[in-house]
Amino acid sequence: MSKITSSSTAEYFAKNLQQVGFSSPTKAVLTTLKEAVDNALDACEENGILPELTIEIEKLGKGGGKNTDLIRIYIEDNGPGLKPEDVPRVFGEYLASSKFGRGQCSRGQQGIGISAATTWAQLTNAAGVRVKSKTASMKKAVDLRVDVDIKGNKGVVKKKDTFDWKDKKHGVAIEFKIDGRLQLNGDGGLLTYLEGTSLVNPHLTLNYKVHENDWVCAARVSEFVPKVPPATLPHPHTMKLGEFMTHTLLYGNISLEKFLKTAFSRVSDAALKEFTRNGLQKAWLKRGLNKINEKEHKAIFHAIQESPLQSPSTKSVLTVGEEGLAKSISKIGEVDFFSVVTRKPKICDFKPVVVEVAIARFLNRGSEDDSIQLLRFANRVPLQFDKASCAITKSTESVNWKSYGLQQSKNSLPKGPYVFAISVTSPFIKFKNASKETIDSSDDLIEEIRLALMQAGQKLSRHIKREAKADDLERKKRHIEKFGPILVEGLAAITNASDARKKRATKGLDKILGRDADSAEAELEQAEARLSKLKIKQEARAAAGTGPAKKTAKKTVRKADSKKKASKKAPAKATKKASKKKAKKKATKRKAKK
Amino acid sequence: MAAKTPKRKVQTGAEITRKAKALCDVMLKDLESAERPVLSAVKCSLDNAIYDSKLGYLTPGDKIVRSELNVSSVQKLARTVFLLDILLNNVSTGAVNTKRELYYMAKGLVKSNPRIKPIDFDDQPESDSIIDFITDLLEVYREEINCYANDRGGQTYSQQLVVTETLADGTTATIDLSQLGTAAFQPKNRPQALKLKAKKKIDFCLVVESEGTANTLVSNGFTKRNNCILMGAQGVPSNGVRGWCKLIQDQLKVPMYFFGDLDAYTMQNIYRTLKAGSAASLIRNADFSAPDVRFLGVLPEDIKKYDLNYYEVKDKDASELRALKKAKDVLANDPFFKDKKNKKLANVLHFLIKNKVRCEQQALFSVNPKDPLMPEKIILKKIKEGSYI
Repeated sequence: MSKITSSSTAEYFAKNLQQVGFSSPTKAVLTTLKEAVDNALDACEENGILPELTIEIEKLGKGGGKNTDLIRIYIEDNGPGLKPEDVPRVFGEYLASSKFGRGQCSRGQQGIGISAATTWAQLTNAAGVRVKSKTASMKKAVDLRVDVDIKGNKGVVKKKDTFDWKDKKHGVAIEFKIDGRLQLNGDGGLLTYLEGTSLVNPHLTLNYKVHENDWVCAARVSEFVPKVPPATLPHPHTMKLGEFMTHTLLYGNISLEKFLKTAFSRVSDAALKEFTRNGLQKAWLKRGLNKINEKEHKAIFHAIQESPLQSPSTKSVLTVGEEGLAKSISKIGEVDFFSVVTRKPKICDFKPVVVEVAIARFLNRGSEDDSIQLLRFANRVPLQFDKASCAITKSTESVNWKSYGLQQSKNSLPKGPYVFAISVTSPFIKFKNASKETIDSSDDLIEEIRLALMQAGQKLSRHIKREAKADDLERKKRHIEKFGPILVEGLAAITNASDARKKRATKGLDKILGRDADSAEAELEQAEARLSKLKIKQEARAAAGTGPAKKTAKKTVRKADSKKKASKKAPAKATKKASKKKAKKKATKRKAKK
Repeated sequence: MAAKTPKRKVQTGAEITRKAKALCDVMLKDLESAERPVLSAVKCSLDNAIYDSKLGYLTPGDKIVRSELNVSSVQKLARTVFLLDILLNNVSTGAVNTKRELYYMAKGLVKSNPRIKPIDFDDQPESDSIIDFITDLLEVYREEINCYANDRGGQTYSQQLVVTETLADGTTATIDLSQLGTAAFQPKNRPQALKLKAKKKIDFCLVVESEGTANTLVSNGFTKRNNCILMGAQGVPSNGVRGWCKLIQDQLKVPMYFFGDLDAYTMQNIYRTLKAGSAASLIRNADFSAPDVRFLGVLPEDIKKYDLNYYEVKDKDASELRALKKAKDVLANDPFFKDKKNKKLANVLHFLIKNKVRCEQQALFSVNPKDPLMPEKIILKKIKEGSYI
């Protein structure tokens, strides 16, 4: 009989790194980057700091493993910094987290990811992570090398130095050297990740250089640090019996009534009455928790589950917001059109959820024949793998995009040069795996995402229709322009008209078609040039000491300015008229002065 | 007999040119002042047709067709001006062309000039409709702008008729139809140039729907035995046939009869066009219709009276069914058939719609196969007995 042994958490993860996003050299690079960025952003937001991240990813040479490169990943933030004693716990110990089970919309939740990255570095390059850190209270920054003690599940400081971190008040810089492979674009690409992160974090300034590309600076478009709402009390319907019983242990020997009212959300006096109607004995309510046996616990739990309760609160959900998303889109590229929708928080599977959708069409990005680029986000973190089974993808495919003017094959993503960014935010996102790559799909969530997409689709459809109308108008104008000159030519031939008449008729045709904007603009420019010359002359005269002339000059300038503004707003026809009037007035004034 | 038509003033080439140039000048002025040019023409369609039984032909109402410069009409305007230029040139030089020739001329000019390629004509009906639009626009006959249709129908046989034609150079040619043997006289598409004279009193003029049947009657000696004019219409009468009939009616003042099939198409398309003109040529019906022509048959009562072969219109016969469907529409909307004076003609249509039958004009040949003169006998009997409408 073989001997039964216990293993540490670190041992488990060291052997199962594929479960937390290190299943391939390509994914390892992305996951490492992602975990570091998540931590940096969470830390900044918790401390009300506008995040500014500097990221550098480069190939250093050949990796230790087959078909791998040695990749350096450097991430520097301006967060609050880590105390030196916390560094080994954060980077070297699994499940050591300040966020575990808090019920907040933070990016990190369990305290696994960054330790897994250190483990990967250690396993592939025999060295953990290098961490530089400085808090506001530290005079000098520390420079540490942390490894994971796999047997003991704890971080080990291998090397420690202090140094002056010039101009840096606080922050953390981490450097991994790992075996990996670089994928820049596509669903699992590093640049896709960085663009996505930049999109859903309008308050983030991101400087990055990936491989041989130039430095990119995606500056923040919002000066507002999102405040992660505090967690709300658990909803009784979201609990299982065992959880419920464990929960009682946290509150000591208080009465059941007090426990139910203070330990859960949505339990009111009316709810308690409902519980008693469904099998909870009234006498139990006044009894201390310690005096309730297991059988009674079960009865209480069932009574609660049988009773209707108000849906959980949605206050704990954080949104990016339509304004932020709208501004952020421009960080990705030159936008041709966008529509954003932020749904109100909704309860899906007894968990509060907010779905946000941004649909954008960029200039010089994508084509009509390719599928749209789908960017998925969970708690503001890009999801880049296992697209097909994700709730977001399923929802997108379930919408009939043809009715919104996009091409779409049955049960697939629509086609066109669009980017669909869909963000799901919830304190309890149900992921399919520990590496948080895919959101589990439930009917409620799929429907909620669908509704958001349909709302955005309606905006898109209106725009496409407007465009089609404009195209149609342009097509009609071009059609007329095909025949117009022949008509003018024919009429001139029959009437023996002069060239001047022909020219006037051609100009008239342009006017009819609204093609005279260019000539009107040219005329306006000429008029403005003449006006500025006149202004200079008048100023010169005023300087020479003729008082009234000075006044007149000012008046003229003011009038000219106001007319200039008006003429810019007015359509081309009005613009031309205004410029003609201006020219006339000038002539009159000149005459008057003479 | 229809009231005498008020004489229409023939427009000279100079007048037409002046009118056309003025029209173009207004269009050019509109363009110069950035306004959309508009062309207005009489609306030549059934909904703008008025039938006055005293006049006897369809005349235009007040409706006009406005073609303003827009996406749907710009091609038509450009083509109109382009063809008008060619036609005005013909008017000034005296050159004459058929519609078909004008189509090929226009095509050739377009092909040789890439700048005007957009106005190219795909087929002749496209250029024909523009020429018709120009005539409506200027309110002129096509012939007045030196454009003639190809001669079709109207092959005429007579032992008494003498035609004097004034040629383009002013000289005249005299044709004695009795000298043509069994050959026919083909009236030119310019009835205005013809003068008619009867060597001997002509009793009647018979217009037969089928040119073949007319020829057969002649071969059997119809024109030898009768002082008459016999003419083959060759289906829907062309402008030439209509103008020729009008000329016979006005100059010879002989009773004129039409003999054709007993079916809806003959009644509403062939006979109505001969008698009252067409809706598509409202402005020229005055000179291109013969209101005095009577419908000799085949009449519904002839079927029983002469034991004529007839047959039912089958559901498979799409064209016949279409004609019957149109007959219903015609009875409701055509002012000619709505007029009280033409009630009997309308009744023929009612009979055809109700009974869904038809009887060919050639049924007369089968009444007595042993007697080749039977059709002639029946026709003469009908005329004598006043068995016509």
